[in-house]
Amino acid sequence: MVELNGTLLAQIVNFLLLVAILAKFAYKPLMQILAERQKKIADAIDAAECERREAEQLKLEYKQQLVEARSKAQVIVENAEKLAEENKEEILKSARAESAYILQKAQEEVARERELALAQLRSEVVALSMAAATKIVTEKMDTELNARMVSDFIEKLDDQKIGGLPC
Amino acid sequence: MEHGHEIGSHSLAHFAGLTFNMDTLIMTWITMAIVIVLAIAATRRMELRPRGWQNFLEMAVMYLLEQMETNMGSKGQKLAPLIITLFLFLVVGNELGLIPGFTSPTNDINTTLGLALMIIVIVHVLAIKNKGFTKYIKHYFEPYIPFVVINIIEEVAKPITLSFRLFGNILAGEILLLVLGMLVPYFVPTLWLAFSVFVGIVQAFIFTMLSISYLSNSMQDGH
Repeated sequence: MVELNGTLLAQIVNFLLLVAILAKFAYKPLMQILAERQKKIADAIDAAECERREAEQLKLEYKQQLVEARSKAQVIVENAEKLAEENKEEILKSARAESAYILQKAQEEVARERELALAQLRSEVVALSMAAATKIVTEKMDTELNARMVSDFIEKLDDQKIGGLPC
Repeated sequence: MEHGHEIGSHSLAHFAGLTFNMDTLIMTWITMAIVIVLAIAATRRMELRPRGWQNFLEMAVMYLLEQMETNMGSKGQKLAPLIITLFLFLVVGNELGLIPGFTSPTNDINTTLGLALMIIVIVHVLAIKNKGFTKYIKHYFEPYIPFVVINIIEEVAKPITLSFRLFGNILAGEILLLVLGMLVPYFVPTLWLAFSVFVGIVQAFIFTMLSISYLSNSMQDGH
């Protein structure tokens, strides 16, 4: 059963022959494909890493842009608020000016109306006075004295009642 | 059960003053043919995306290459075809005997001892080449001169243990398969057959790994 003979040498030769055959026909293409695949995998990993880094960079950029956009929006809103405030002030100011102008106009109107009334009143008074004077004078005095008295009367009337308006 | 007579006893042939076990040689050639066919089938249309048999072969080859890389470093790459062939030959050879009508080439001590001696010769040649002859010789007298006895026994034991482990496992497996087949047919032999498939792979693996280990020792510059 356990008996050494020439088979031993034959087996070594057989095996070495097998090694030679496999090395020539199978081992080389196998190694080639393995190396190729290894290279491909390494390349893929490198590419993935590169892409990941790029994506990260992009993300960072987008974040920054978002922050910028936010701050810009803030500025715009603030500006709009300021503008509205300014507009409000302006509108109020013009409204105040308008109201002041209208008030002034009204006062002026009132004053003019008053003046007109006074002028009418004065002419009435003169006529009345003239009538009264004529009555008195026809009874007691001559025409000269009469005119002077009327004039005096009017002067006094001016100073005391109307306030220095020339007639 | 004429198959039973084949195990252990060999049909002999005489050539050039040497005796050859013809059945072992024939089984070896069949094994070689199967290995070649499988290897070429796997590598004929190599693809970057492995499929089917290419995938399986690549897995085994990658594993062996990895083992060689960790044990021997990059210098071991030159021995890769030898190691890969050894593993494939042993796996196919071990499993061949489980097919009715076939026997394993590895159930013959001539095969296993032949392979073991070949490995050991390569180990020593590489050791001399790597360390230089004087350092190689000196290595046997370390750490103290009397250790030469132990060291030489160790070196002699290497091929013997390597070859007898494989030979014994495979031959015992085949004998047991036949004996069980005669004693308790069908169920138990089937279980043993399944186990033998496993044993065949494991033994091929052990033989290959020990070869890598022995070879890696002689690859190291130190010592």
